[in-house]
Amino acid sequence: MSNGLWTTSVGSFPKPPALLKARTDHAAGRLSDEELGALERQATIDWIRFQEEIGVDILVDGEMYRGDMATFFAEEMDGFEIGGLVRSYGNRYYRKPIAVGAVRRSHPITVDAWKFAQSLTSRPVKGMLTGPYTIADWSFDEHYGSRREFVLDLARAIHDEAMDLAAAGARFVQIDEPAASARMDELPLVAEAMGIVTDGLPVYAITHICYGDFMRAYPTMLDIPVDQIDLEMTNSDFALLDRFREVPFTKHVGLGVVDSHDHRIETVDEVVRGIRLALEVLPPEAIFVDPDCGLKTRTVEEAEAKMRAIVAGVRQVRAELGIGDEVPAGRPTPGRSIGAPHDAATASGATTSPEAAMP
Amino acid sequence: MFATLVGAYPRTPLPGQPFRLRAAYGQLERGEIDRDGFRDVQDKLVRELIEEQIDAGLSLLTDGQIRWEDAQTAVARGLDGFEITGMLRYFDTNTYYRQPLATALPAWTHPILVADWRFADAAARDAARERDLEPLPVKACLVGPYTLARLSHAGEFSREALTMALAEALGQEVRALVEAGAPVVQIDENALTMIAADDDDERALATRALSRLCEAVADLPVAHLCLAVTMGSAEHAGAPLLYERPFKSYLFDLIAGPDNWRLIAYAPTDRGIICGAADARNTARDDEPVLIWAARYAATLNGRGLDRVGLAPSTGLEYLPRDRAKAKIEALAEAARKAGLPGNELAKVIDPRAVDARSAALGRHEPGTGTATARATGGQP
Repeated sequence: MSNGLWTTSVGSFPKPPALLKARTDHAAGRLSDEELGALERQATIDWIRFQEEIGVDILVDGEMYRGDMATFFAEEMDGFEIGGLVRSYGNRYYRKPIAVGAVRRSHPITVDAWKFAQSLTSRPVKGMLTGPYTIADWSFDEHYGSRREFVLDLARAIHDEAMDLAAAGARFVQIDEPAASARMDELPLVAEAMGIVTDGLPVYAITHICYGDFMRAYPTMLDIPVDQIDLEMTNSDFALLDRFREVPFTKHVGLGVVDSHDHRIETVDEVVRGIRLALEVLPPEAIFVDPDCGLKTRTVEEAEAKMRAIVAGVRQVRAELGIGDEVPAGRPTPGRSIGAPHDAATASGATTSPEAAMP
Repeated sequence: MFATLVGAYPRTPLPGQPFRLRAAYGQLERGEIDRDGFRDVQDKLVRELIEEQIDAGLSLLTDGQIRWEDAQTAVARGLDGFEITGMLRYFDTNTYYRQPLATALPAWTHPILVADWRFADAAARDAARERDLEPLPVKACLVGPYTLARLSHAGEFSREALTMALAEALGQEVRALVEAGAPVVQIDENALTMIAADDDDERALATRALSRLCEAVADLPVAHLCLAVTMGSAEHAGAPLLYERPFKSYLFDLIAGPDNWRLIAYAPTDRGIICGAADARNTARDDEPVLIWAARYAATLNGRGLDRVGLAPSTGLEYLPRDRAKAKIEALAEAARKAGLPGNELAKVIDPRAVDARSAALGRHEPGTGTATARATGGQP
């Protein structure tokens, strides 16, 4: 029996109302670091338990201790100041970092949180990092004057963090690059920076890209040296899958099957439809099933319902096709450094399962 | 010489102030306030931002577009024929818009932005009265037909059909704004930056769409249509597309699209040029001599003159924190003031090497010595 269609999540889950209030109180000085930390740990425990209960294969800690994904890392690095609020969409705002000096990592940023989450479960928990290109793109630059120098300095810092996560035992490390699809002419810079991040990284590396012009970014995005590219697919009704017929996808895919920015809960049938569409162009052992993006903008109830729909949909398809759920070991695939195919012939058969990559 | 916004301004508060709009949005979603209550909060913010622009020294105002979810849906929701769907990144920014999907060819049935413009105009008059100033004009802004069509999903229609239907529909909205009294209606056509050098069909489509739009107000001589292009270079859209339409002024992003200078070089003398020369997407302070140089260079080209030139941020200022945006418009207004000074007066307030090529080439400037003429000539008659 082959294994595949592993369920996971992109990274963030909604913070429960009590934690949201606690973060407000903490920012206003009404709550201590210890009190806030205790609530964050409890919320992490709750999300790990939830994922275990519904049967998610590869877990996330839900990022209960993070605000914005770029600002969180900038706050912990030398060389950044945190600026005022800017809007990303709707009623969502974040404090945008400002590079005012050379950026450096002075200490591990996520390792303790990952260790805590992993201590709660026997299932693998992903190490979650924001990629260097995205941190740079979502920051103001008052120091470098060169995007490349800024990005590559960040790449060296994120590489150190990824290596520390691997040394701590993480089998899956996700380096999110949602900004990667914003500028086609900078995709080579994204790939160059990711090459620094994953250089010598002894574990399975994922990158998440979302809300860009995938039609133009594909297949160049395959040059990014990771094992899996996680993509939002529901938002565009799986349109990119048609491009995979023309130019085969040479890596594993994270298949977004529920819309992370819609209150509506997808039906199991809708999830099954998305998986079946993907199975027309990719084998099950190359597919990881998850939401389009982090679910932190949903309510707790909405996020839970969407995750339940994903797990139910995967179970249905696995049962129909006789696919097992044994979780891969989380090692690098031979396809990590394989870039975009120059023609269909070189691409065919390049998709490799994690099991096939095991020594 | 004047300074203006492109359109959008941060809806966030200044440091230390409460974020009432965000709170109100949450209250609206939870049913704690109704639409009227939410609109009251928006109204107060519009008044605040108009006062901020006046106090900074801007001469042509906007409402900051703080009522808009995004530039596309702000218009598309008011037209018949669109359904609003999934989120897409807006050009290369870290902001997103919901993509309109054409379920029928869009049609205009009622004014969409007129009430908001009227409110902003009244707020500007109130603010001017309180300050004992002459009222300052408020421009109306809306996405153009080519850009709205290009950023939308055409559904079962061709993009050409969608574009031309939008040109017809938005032309009626422009007419309604002009008839309401909007002194300037700015058409934002950022998708002109997406036209490639060899894309004759796209160039032809954009040309026809803008022609149709302009025809809607051809019988209204008072109409001042401004064409704004930000987020890149419109060089490949070409000068004929821009200048053979009866726009009275043009606003160009000169940071993301420095090649737009070539388009400015071709602009007919009687058209106004607004130089988007302050970086709207970075917090770093803009170099004042560069802003002044940009304004005066645009004024010099084809003998345009200082009266037909303005300064602006490179695009909407919504990408900046409020305090940084405020600093930007204050600096822009000051740069515009200085750029409008006669040359000898300008030399007194700025390092002449920044604006005087002869001095710069000869390296003669001695800061703080002599008259303006002497400073500019190294003391030689």
